[in-house]
Amino acid sequence: MSNSSTNHPAPAPVAPLQVPSRLFSTLEGVFNEELFFLILSVFIGIFSGLAVVCFRLAIDWTHLALLGPLPQTHSWRLFAVPALAGLVVAALVIHVFPGIRGSGVNQTKAALYIFNGFIPFRTAVGKFICAAIAIGSGQSLGPEDPSLQIGAGIASALGRQLDISREKLRLMAPVGAAAGLAAAFNAPISAVLFVIEEVIGRWSAGILGSVVLSAVSSVVIVRWFLGSQPLFRIPVTTFKRPTELIAYAVLGIFGGLASVAFAKSIAYLRPRLNSLPSWTQYFQPALAGLLIGLIAFLGAPQVMGAGYDSMDQAMHGQYVWKMLALLAVLKILATTLSFVSGTPGGMFAPTLFIGAMLGGAVGDLERHFFPHLTGSTGTYVLVGMGVLFAGFLRAPMTSVFMVLEVSGNYEIVVPVIVANTFSYVISRSLQTVPIFDMLTRQDGLILPSLEEDREETILRVEDAMLPAPTIILNAEDYVDANARRVQDSTDSNFLVRMHPSGWNIISRDQLQRLFREGKGEHTLASVLPQPLPSLYPDLPLDSALRYVNDYPLVPVVNRANSRKLEGVVSRDSVFKKYGSRRTEEAPNAADRVDP
Amino acid sequence: MSWSFPKLIPRSAPVILLILTLAAATGFAAVSHLVARFTANQQSRGRKLYAEGLAEASANRFDDAINAFRAALTCDPTNSQYQLSLGRALRDSNDPRRLDEAESYLIALWQRAPQDAAVNLALARVAAHRGSLEDATRYYHNAMYGVWNSDPEANRSKARIELIQFLLKQGASDRAASELMALASTLPPTPAAHLQAAGLFAQAHDYAAELAQYEEVLRLDPANSAALAGAGNAAYRAGDYITAHRDLQAAANANPQDADSRQLLATTDLILRHDPFQSHISDAERNRRITAAFTQAEKRLVECAQKSSVDLKTATPATSSLATLQSLWTEAKPDLAHLRSPTETDLPDAIMDVVFQIEQRTAATCGAPQGLDLALLLSSQKREAASQ
Repeated sequence: MSNSSTNHPAPAPVAPLQVPSRLFSTLEGVFNEELFFLILSVFIGIFSGLAVVCFRLAIDWTHLALLGPLPQTHSWRLFAVPALAGLVVAALVIHVFPGIRGSGVNQTKAALYIFNGFIPFRTAVGKFICAAIAIGSGQSLGPEDPSLQIGAGIASALGRQLDISREKLRLMAPVGAAAGLAAAFNAPISAVLFVIEEVIGRWSAGILGSVVLSAVSSVVIVRWFLGSQPLFRIPVTTFKRPTELIAYAVLGIFGGLASVAFAKSIAYLRPRLNSLPSWTQYFQPALAGLLIGLIAFLGAPQVMGAGYDSMDQAMHGQYVWKMLALLAVLKILATTLSFVSGTPGGMFAPTLFIGAMLGGAVGDLERHFFPHLTGSTGTYVLVGMGVLFAGFLRAPMTSVFMVLEVSGNYEIVVPVIVANTFSYVISRSLQTVPIFDMLTRQDGLILPSLEEDREETILRVEDAMLPAPTIILNAEDYVDANARRVQDSTDSNFLVRMHPSGWNIISRDQLQRLFREGKGEHTLASVLPQPLPSLYPDLPLDSALRYVNDYPLVPVVNRANSRKLEGVVSRDSVFKKYGSRRTEEAPNAADRVDP
Repeated sequence: MSWSFPKLIPRSAPVILLILTLAAATGFAAVSHLVARFTANQQSRGRKLYAEGLAEASANRFDDAINAFRAALTCDPTNSQYQLSLGRALRDSNDPRRLDEAESYLIALWQRAPQDAAVNLALARVAAHRGSLEDATRYYHNAMYGVWNSDPEANRSKARIELIQFLLKQGASDRAASELMALASTLPPTPAAHLQAAGLFAQAHDYAAELAQYEEVLRLDPANSAALAGAGNAAYRAGDYITAHRDLQAAANANPQDADSRQLLATTDLILRHDPFQSHISDAERNRRITAAFTQAEKRLVECAQKSSVDLKTATPATSSLATLQSLWTEAKPDLAHLRSPTETDLPDAIMDVVFQIEQRTAATCGAPQGLDLALLLSSQKREAASQ
């Protein structure tokens, strides 16, 4: 069995590029490809929503059939069921659905960046079946990541059927992913943000419209069938005194440390289990299930499955802080075991679970020592969810919006932002590589790290800018006067300020030649060709590359007053800046591939 | 092995959209069918679990009931009845940590149906558990004026009675009295309802209203021995000893085993026979009663002094309050001889003031009196209340 999380079969032949003209020939001018893609996004949302509804029913049905409506401790079923189901799942993964191991987020990213939008339909089907069995039998994994991949798989299959352009086909998978995730979380805004933040990595009007449409339509479908109630019963949440932000900051610190522990345990165990003889992979999910069942048997059945019911109870003060802390630790252990064993399933719900329990524990403990704190346990639980989301999944914007969308309460936005920021910063400093990037690199793929892209410092024109030359010629002056001004200068090129605006350039040789040709009584303006392009200091340095080969100097002017010269850039100054940047980055490059 | 589908979809955009629409409609219908079957299955399972939960709750096994209701809710998460029952079981489990969860379930229900009287009543009980006077009162009122699915009048009355009991427990007698007045005006014409109201009036120390309720019971059921005893008791505590004597006599006759009524009857009899301020008695009889009371007061004082190891001969007012009483009694004794004088109209009051002071102070020092002393003490309290 392959261990690659992005182990697709060879990419399918991509749709012929000339198809759009054939496709829309019947209604030319009515259905251009952009409009068609938007309409298609709605259908992707509908199909993904329907699939996710079925997926959730499948999980519930499996859970009821195998474990009963409410698992009780000290029942033999608790370890027998996940162990036996683990054997079945392993057999299915090895023999029927070899491409479904690992993270659906990464597989969608791989489809976008490597496989031209191709996700095998078999992967979506396999994910549906195997994740339903695994999660329903109590493996400590969540349904969101498989839902995301089911949506992406459906979208990809549909795109291939329709022979749309390669560019659009690539985007089909993220559009489907947003629909799947939105349906799973019942939270369209968070899903859109997550896909933009973690899969696509850029904001553009074209893709945003499609992602939003698919997410919204899938949520409509899910709410139609399963109701619009949120994942949890949201308790009364309050934030009264700004000084209490310190308490939330402490929660952020704990969350950051827990995120690092969680990520490092996966980073450590996953390659080691993958390197074991291949026959052991038949038993790894079963062993993980057995151990998780044992944890449940010994008194913590809450760690089984996605754990939304337990989060709900934690939110309403059902556990004391010691139990909450214990559940957080046990869930990290259980989820690590499930995930590294190759059992299909996601880490979104476990991340929320760990964050909820940790938030509740830290909040209760803080209120024990500082009874004047007004935040309820439910408030800390909610903030804790966002904290782990920010620290472990490293999606800071999604983490904030997800808490707001799930809770429907904007009063806690400040605590959420403060705690998430602490968690994110600590996680970034202690675990350089985000979890999704780490998983792809362990699988031998190099996908663009969107966090690194976000954090990358952009070189700007001002970084390569040279001081403005001391001699600036005036276009209204005569050639002979200008020639006299430059005769003592050592420079070979001179900028010319045009009237009423604009810039030009003339070399010493050109100036002397004009003088020799008897054009000394002409103004510079009358003899110079088209004006020179100018740059602004804040433009990306890449924009200077277009001009520096054609002109020896390019003026950098003030945005408010284009006659005011801030400096100049030359080919040498630009290339020198790029060269120095490469030297600065070289020592950090090793860190980025450390797993 | 790889899966691939032949490209079946034609290339015309309208046709594609039509096919997609048909596919979506088909999928929608199929999933509808699936969800309906699954939901029906779940609801059936939920009903079984809910019934188990109700049985456990009625047997006061709240932990088991909570588990059953939770399981029922996993099968049918939006079922209001299950949520309400879980909220009630959580509240009744006597685990303070579960009150929050109970409240959150009930609040969620309340937000959906704020007029639902059963939900309001459950929330009122949670607030009552917490001792939150304002919240409990608000929710009880909501329950009283809310919508009941069955027997609204009886349920409203029950809710009001529960509120009154809560208010009395919290010491909010004024609010309780207001609620009791409202309750009395809406009571059904049944002896049981009036008996219950009488009990509540008794708890609120409104003995006149209590007596009125018992009289209403006796009007409906003249032979009701509980009402006869209650009426006598209420009249006794209200200081209406003539009525008390009549009703207690009737109660004792109706139920010869009623020792409490007999004892109260004896005390009432003593009061009526020894109260010098009773109307319709002659001057001679009044003077006799005053003299007897004065003599009895001295006896009580001496007994109390002995009990308290106070020697009245040597004690001074500075060292003992009983000595002060002794000195008052001694000062008043010569006045007995002037009781018949037509000019000394204030003397009966002055002498009886001394008697009443002795009975009250000795009761405080040596404990509750019995017999004639008790009768005199009660007479003193009645007179004090009347003067206020």
